[in-house]
Amino acid sequence: MDQNLEKIKLEYLSKIDAVKSASELESLRIEISGRNGKINQLFSEIKNVPPENRKQFGADLNQLKTELEQSLEIKKTTVLKDKLKIENSKIENSTFSLKKVGHLHPVTQTERQLNEVFRKLGFSVYDSPEIVTDEFNFERLNVPQDHPARDMQDSIYIKEPEYLLRTQTSAIEAYLLSQKSKDLPIRAAFPGSVFRNEKVNRSNHFVFHQYQAVVVDKGITMKDLIGTMDLMFKTLYGNGVVVRYRCKYYPEVEPGVGPDMQCFNCHGVGCPLCKYAGWIEMGGSGMIHPKVLQAAGIDSKIWSGFAFGMGLDRWTMAQKNIKDIRTLMGGNLAYKPNEL
Amino acid sequence: MKLIYSELKKILPDINVKPQQLRDDLTMIGHFTNYFEEIDSEIVFDLDIKVNRGDCLGYYGLAKDLAVFYNIPFKNLSVETFCKTSLPTLPIQITTDNVKRVMSVKISDLKNSTSPQWLKTFLKCHGSNSINILVDLTNYIMFLYGIPSHAFDTKKSGENLIWEMNSKFKEFTSLDGSKLKLDNKILMINNPQKALSLSFWGGEACAIDLNTTETIIELAVYDRTTVRQNSRQLQAITEAGVRLEKDIDPELIPIAFNHLSNLILENCHGQISSQIFDYYPQKIQLPQIEFNLNQPTQFAGINIPTDFTLDCLTRLECKIDKKTNFNYLITPPTTRKDITQMEDLVEEVIRFWGYNKIPTNQPLAKKDVVDITPPENYLIDQLKDKLVELGYDEVLTWPLVTQAIDEDTVIKTQNSINSEAIYLRQSLIPSLQQQLDQYSRYKLTNCQFFEIGKVFSKIGDKFIEKNALCIYNYNVDTLRRDVLQNVSTDPNINFIGSFAEIILDDLPKPEKYIPQTTVNTAYELTSQIITLDANITLDNQEEPEILIEKYSKIIGNQYLWEIVITDIYHDAKTNKYRYTFRVSYFNTDDKTAKDLHLKSFNLK
Repeated sequence: MDQNLEKIKLEYLSKIDAVKSASELESLRIEISGRNGKINQLFSEIKNVPPENRKQFGADLNQLKTELEQSLEIKKTTVLKDKLKIENSKIENSTFSLKKVGHLHPVTQTERQLNEVFRKLGFSVYDSPEIVTDEFNFERLNVPQDHPARDMQDSIYIKEPEYLLRTQTSAIEAYLLSQKSKDLPIRAAFPGSVFRNEKVNRSNHFVFHQYQAVVVDKGITMKDLIGTMDLMFKTLYGNGVVVRYRCKYYPEVEPGVGPDMQCFNCHGVGCPLCKYAGWIEMGGSGMIHPKVLQAAGIDSKIWSGFAFGMGLDRWTMAQKNIKDIRTLMGGNLAYKPNEL
Repeated sequence: MKLIYSELKKILPDINVKPQQLRDDLTMIGHFTNYFEEIDSEIVFDLDIKVNRGDCLGYYGLAKDLAVFYNIPFKNLSVETFCKTSLPTLPIQITTDNVKRVMSVKISDLKNSTSPQWLKTFLKCHGSNSINILVDLTNYIMFLYGIPSHAFDTKKSGENLIWEMNSKFKEFTSLDGSKLKLDNKILMINNPQKALSLSFWGGEACAIDLNTTETIIELAVYDRTTVRQNSRQLQAITEAGVRLEKDIDPELIPIAFNHLSNLILENCHGQISSQIFDYYPQKIQLPQIEFNLNQPTQFAGINIPTDFTLDCLTRLECKIDKKTNFNYLITPPTTRKDITQMEDLVEEVIRFWGYNKIPTNQPLAKKDVVDITPPENYLIDQLKDKLVELGYDEVLTWPLVTQAIDEDTVIKTQNSINSEAIYLRQSLIPSLQQQLDQYSRYKLTNCQFFEIGKVFSKIGDKFIEKNALCIYNYNVDTLRRDVLQNVSTDPNINFIGSFAEIILDDLPKPEKYIPQTTVNTAYELTSQIITLDANITLDNQEEPEILIEKYSKIIGNQYLWEIVITDIYHDAKTNKYRYTFRVSYFNTDDKTAKDLHLKSFNLK
């Protein structure tokens, strides 16, 4: 909405909120919606708006009109009820609703479930900047300039080619390893927003959430990695969950591991949800590539580690039966006022 | 990448597994296979080949992998092409370092025609159209070996082919008639007069047709980065381009080249009319990797016998030189350009041993390591819990927004393809206002919600990110009270209308805070909330809470959003109590809501 209209809206919403009586409300209604009221006054100004902005201004104005009129209507009910209460002294406890319950966003809930699993194993919950350099998003993760793996991730650049919005939580890993290379061993998990230059639609978004965990210690093996991931899947999906671990390529790990969960919709038979594979890819993982450790100044002959990362949004959508990824951010996600 | 089972069997005659098993095995060894389907009586698999395995963008590479996995023999389909040394040489010139290898030959007296059914079916299974047999055979070889090949009609192209970085041509017309603007960064095959072909896409100027009687065929490997850049620059993605931008083995070219030449001679009845041109200025250098046979066991955390490891490397066609006891010097085969160090060999051994043999029930043991959680993370968790307790809902909004608040300090993205997401947000308030607007459109009232997220700015060349908390409450007084009592007592807090915004950097941080893990329900609204009133009259006064509970059960959870009692009226004359309910319904239409409402309150 146009910024001036936004300001006007806020101003009048506050005024409506402050109204105490029916007469006050009527005066305010005239001030807003009367023949010479603010709304009509704004409509008469459309002619002064540049032609290219006129359509948008008109739409914004109509929206403002609707919202203010709705607020006036809601207030009218309240005021009338108050009036009635005064006139009929026998009315008691005039309004009653159950206590408003607050809610965490579903992505936060998933993050917390995962954080709890990892805290119990001695992990910290880490974070780092979202604007990163090419070095931390790619180079230190064994994705040099000419590597085809860069094509896997179309980046949103702030200042090409150096600064970009992180495309993966592995950028947090690179930052963490650089910061804590002298404080080994490390156990850290990090939820975070990541960005890709994708058109926003029902299935894709330019911003989404990933979760990553990293361990650097002596003698870490793939058995540790797979056992830990399996514990995490069981925590989220219950002991009956079926997960397979297969070979998968990511430049920052070697050997690479891909966890796939048996499709909860078709139980492995194949359906549109799993694209008839019977399995749903749940992310990527592996033993940290020696070049990644070396880039952080960690001796890969002494220290080894594992890392795994996965998208949170699709997990969350599946758990909450949300069909459109846009719902999660600034969308039509809502919570019943009195329901946990 | 598509894979026809019957074609694979030509290279692996001993393969004997059901399609379902092959799908799962391919996936487990790293080639994720979505599904298989039947096309014209052929079983066709759909594979996702990872960028490091350019060799597997053809049957040849995949069959090599499967031969190791199933421990079965691999059959080479190619035979050598013979040509007389008395034949003339081709006047080909190569003027750029971006060409790594080219093999080429001229074939004359051809009879081109439509393709036989087997070839048409093969191409159909790979999602390609049949053009004519000569073109189709070049595509067949590309799918078989993962190396693109190209045929020029010499009546149109001449023989003076030049591999060069473009310097004189402004436009190129591709085989499908697309006109592409050229600059001097484009790797091309031209003749002195005409732009003939891109490295990854043939041109209309020298296209093979049914009248073609003479051709020059070529197979080449280029600098993959150049091909990728050209493909991106021209916004042209082709099957050839997808392969040429990967690491292709130049040593494989003669095998694919011989196979193609022989197929053309066999199917088009021509004859070789030039010497074979083979440009290969710099042979590839293979790494020599020090390797201990116990390393796969150390990485996997389970015992992998050393004789298996040795056998596996042998089957992979690695060159194996023993140094001492378990220590070896391993040279991988030329096809496997992804194997460059010890860890790569370890992965090879473990994937063929089987990832599924690693136990899944032995997670990392608990260990006390230094807590490196930033205190701000604890603060964020603490604030979220406090606000939820106060009845606020958490929302998340886009960090990229349409409008800048301060043009001088805003951070603008350079290449965002979403016009509504250009700037990094400087404040959460406009985003939460949008969320409020969205809720208004759904007729949600009495909202109170918050977001904790990053806000961004720049000072000079320095980018600044701060965590901010923004709260909205329709009731301004409650908002002020909640913020000042629970978040910060700072009198300078930014209150704008029904919003408050606080930068978290400025708040004291707890030393530790472990949040509660709660699971609550969220809904995806699909239509406006419908609000209806109902009056019921009772003989006795009832507890409102009990009445709300009663009618919530009657209405049911599916469409009920909220019930509020807006009025309780005692009529002294009749001594009856009238309760007015306001019921909100969600994700349903007017009629369903009204029917449900009337039925639930017995108003019909």
